[in-house]
Amino acid sequence: MNWNTAVYIVMNPLFALVLSPLVLGLIKTVKARIQGRPGPPVLQQYYQLRKLFHKEIVYSEDSSFIVRLGPYLGIAFMLTASLFVPMVFIPQTGWFGNIILFFYLMITAKFFMVLGGLDAGSTFGGMGSSREMTVSSIIEPVTIMSCAALAFVLKTTSIPEMFRTLLAGSIFSYPTLILVGISLFIILIVESARVPVDNPETHLELTMIHEAMILEQSGPKLALVELASGVRQTVLMALLINVTFPWGLAGLAGCASLLLAAVTMAVKMLILAATVGLFESLLAKIRFFRLPDFFMIALFLSFITIVFELLR
Amino acid sequence: MDFPEFSSGIEDKEAVVQSLFWVGGALCLVATILPLVLLFRPSRLLRQAALWVLLAGTGAISAAAILVISRSLDLHLTLLSITPQLALSFRLDKLSCFFVVIIGAVSFCAVIYSITYIAHYKSERSKQFLTSGLAFFILAMLLVVASSTTFGFLFFWELMSLSSFFLVMFDLDKPETQKAGIFYFAMTQMGTIFLLASFLLLYRFTGSFDISAAGNIPQWGKGLVFVSLFIGFGTKAGIIPFHKWLPYAHSASPSNVSALMSGVMLKVPIYGLVRFIIDVFRPDLWWGIVLLFFGSITALLGIIYAFKEHDLKKMLAYCSIENLGVIVVGLGLYVIFDFYGLRVQADLCIYGALFHTLNHALFKSSLFMTAGSVVQATGTRDIEQMGGLIKRMPGTGAIFLVGACAIAALPPLNGFASEIMIFQAYLTSFSLGRPILEILLMAGLAALALTSTLAAACFAKAFGIIFLARPRSGAASAAKEAPFAQLLAPGILAALCVGFGVFSYQLISNVKSGMPLPDILPIGIIVLVLTGVTFLLLLLTRSPVRKTETWGCGIPSQTGKMEYSGDGFSEPIVTVFKPVFRTRKLSTREFYDKYNSIPKSSSGEIGTLKFFEERLYVPIARFFMKIAGAVSNLHNVDMDALILYSFIAVVLVILGVGWWL
Repeated sequence: MNWNTAVYIVMNPLFALVLSPLVLGLIKTVKARIQGRPGPPVLQQYYQLRKLFHKEIVYSEDSSFIVRLGPYLGIAFMLTASLFVPMVFIPQTGWFGNIILFFYLMITAKFFMVLGGLDAGSTFGGMGSSREMTVSSIIEPVTIMSCAALAFVLKTTSIPEMFRTLLAGSIFSYPTLILVGISLFIILIVESARVPVDNPETHLELTMIHEAMILEQSGPKLALVELASGVRQTVLMALLINVTFPWGLAGLAGCASLLLAAVTMAVKMLILAATVGLFESLLAKIRFFRLPDFFMIALFLSFITIVFELLR
Repeated sequence: MDFPEFSSGIEDKEAVVQSLFWVGGALCLVATILPLVLLFRPSRLLRQAALWVLLAGTGAISAAAILVISRSLDLHLTLLSITPQLALSFRLDKLSCFFVVIIGAVSFCAVIYSITYIAHYKSERSKQFLTSGLAFFILAMLLVVASSTTFGFLFFWELMSLSSFFLVMFDLDKPETQKAGIFYFAMTQMGTIFLLASFLLLYRFTGSFDISAAGNIPQWGKGLVFVSLFIGFGTKAGIIPFHKWLPYAHSASPSNVSALMSGVMLKVPIYGLVRFIIDVFRPDLWWGIVLLFFGSITALLGIIYAFKEHDLKKMLAYCSIENLGVIVVGLGLYVIFDFYGLRVQADLCIYGALFHTLNHALFKSSLFMTAGSVVQATGTRDIEQMGGLIKRMPGTGAIFLVGACAIAALPPLNGFASEIMIFQAYLTSFSLGRPILEILLMAGLAALALTSTLAAACFAKAFGIIFLARPRSGAASAAKEAPFAQLLAPGILAALCVGFGVFSYQLISNVKSGMPLPDILPIGIIVLVLTGVTFLLLLLTRSPVRKTETWGCGIPSQTGKMEYSGDGFSEPIVTVFKPVFRTRKLSTREFYDKYNSIPKSSSGEIGTLKFFEERLYVPIARFFMKIAGAVSNLHNVDMDALILYSFIAVVLVILGVGWWL
């Protein structure tokens, strides 16, 4: 392993970890402004995490080691997955980068969260787990189809290779990627549990999916879970950004170019976060059993991309 | 001649393999006979001895097979030759030995499991019978895959079917077992008829019973043989729509037997498919499409049915159907890619299918064994009666969790390692250049993706409802941990699941280099390191820990009845896939008066339509009953009609002989 890869392995997850609360905060602020409220400060999420890390941990008497182990595994799998999407510079590819492995690592993180939801025997947890698993099962064909679309357009299954190909081309080289981009946006909305799929702000039984599942987590464990879902959102955003607009990504590591690339990425990320906030404010939550229809849009767009690519 | 030492080394190895194989087979036979020696004075000692002998036998045969694979040997052995054509002879090459290793290794663990599992049955007679049947079943399976002639293949295939039928019928007092037995027997015989038909066709074309000689036959005959073989093997492998026996038989039989049936017996038809379709014949494109289509349907419907099931063993059985579907998808894709000369993708698929065969054998038998321990401890197969078992059976729970993660295709375990090979082949198929076929492939890809996450959902439900939260019944709260042997056997298999997952890249590159696959070993290391680091960092916060009851909206105390149930968990997905489940509602009302105004009684029924059973099997059965009825009407006639029959028969014979000459 050369130092280029070593820098990448440390830097990429760290970048996602540090940036994710800011992204969450910005989405909240944008939503609040649109609703005519001042909203919490943009850095509120960081304060929240600090607070959580200083609180006590409460476990249910009925729970087992699953609920204790889940948050560690969740964050570990998410950070490992974050290695697969270069955010600042593209490393020399090695063992990471396979797009299917990337999405399956995220499912693994989710699997342990779902088990954690069932562990305490609370009805809310069970409900959240069940719905989370339903949503993630139905979105999975869409996700894999988008992967296939990307692979068909860019002729590779490695995410860093894809970005490298994209950087080498111009903005008009791969017009069909706009369609895949819309698919990826829908996947982002679903995976980060946002309106119209889930409402991250309420704790009502009718709407909650993700929030219900993590109801039994507390203190530092809850902080880990929050961080993991933040990283999930940031990584998916990075994937979307780099597929549709990769320019600014550094080709190789170098001090000045790294700094520039990091700033560019952060700016792009915040623009996307504002878009997500706007998107959320414009839509109402969809009824749970109407969600498959929403996902079908994404499936259709990926499929169309593949067909275009085949007929080219 | 140039390398005398080398060649004599090979001969030595062959001699060793040969003797190990014969000794292993003989030991299995001894283990079959041993418990039956004192039939009327059953002895515990003999039974235990038989299990140990069986252990040695499966060990010896597995060792022989591993030697063959590692040295790339190709041996021909003959046991018995009635005529030069009709011989029970064996061929040990890499492919057959791969399956021998699977059968041998899983049987080895199943026998360990049986040492204490069999002891819990009441009657001493039935214990003897179970031990003997187990040994015979294992021996028959080993010899099927080793057979080199169609004659021997069919002979041992029937022995395998019959011995497993007796094992399924073990608890024959229960009505459910009788139904399972009849289903199993009828369907497995139907499969055998199709196999017999295809073997006779092969003999008609080639004049030989040798499997490897079946290659050169005309095109239309090849197609006919393929369809017949596919139905025959598909029935045994549980390919939808020939799957219906599988959930019945697996849930009715003792758990060590269901572990063997699901983990191993279902692999024997896969061996047949691989041997005939890929090794012997040169397949056509449409074979691949047929395999892909049925494989995808099987995988998807299998897991959707599994999701709704709350009988633990039936759920596992439906999951076996799903996994067999995935394997058949791999074979179908191999045929398609091979036809168009996409070497890399074809290799990915065939090795992926074979690797998944191995992996499924490992995790499914581990899951069946732990499920057996759970059923033994709680006395029920209904998962709604379980719950909270992880505190009472921690070892069993942990092993089940590993198996569940493996079958749910979560990295870095082995289920993922083989499924990604098929995904990778799908995703890199862009160079195929056949748009219509490509669209078909993409539909298959979507189905496979849905299948694999539904499997994750299904096993999140299974593990969550069985092992987590509070016990839902008295039996579950009184459950005790399984004995050591019942932890050791599935534990070995679970460890292999982890090993084959983490080191999958290294393993595969050993067999075939240059596969475009991700290396999972560093992923495993990084996850482990990150988990450790976060754990240590969290220790630094020194947060106090408090234990309290689960928040229940102010209810004074919660009971197991208030928890989320298995049916509740699966409800959203069942609703989404409503068209597949085909709920049936029946309601009848009776009235006292003729104006239907004073209700007397009413009944309502809601249930799932057993689609394949009620719309496919029963109509076919009715059709045959009708024919049988018509034929039996021909018998009940008077003398004149009988004379007429004889007259017609004689005329037909004369005409036939005249035409023949």
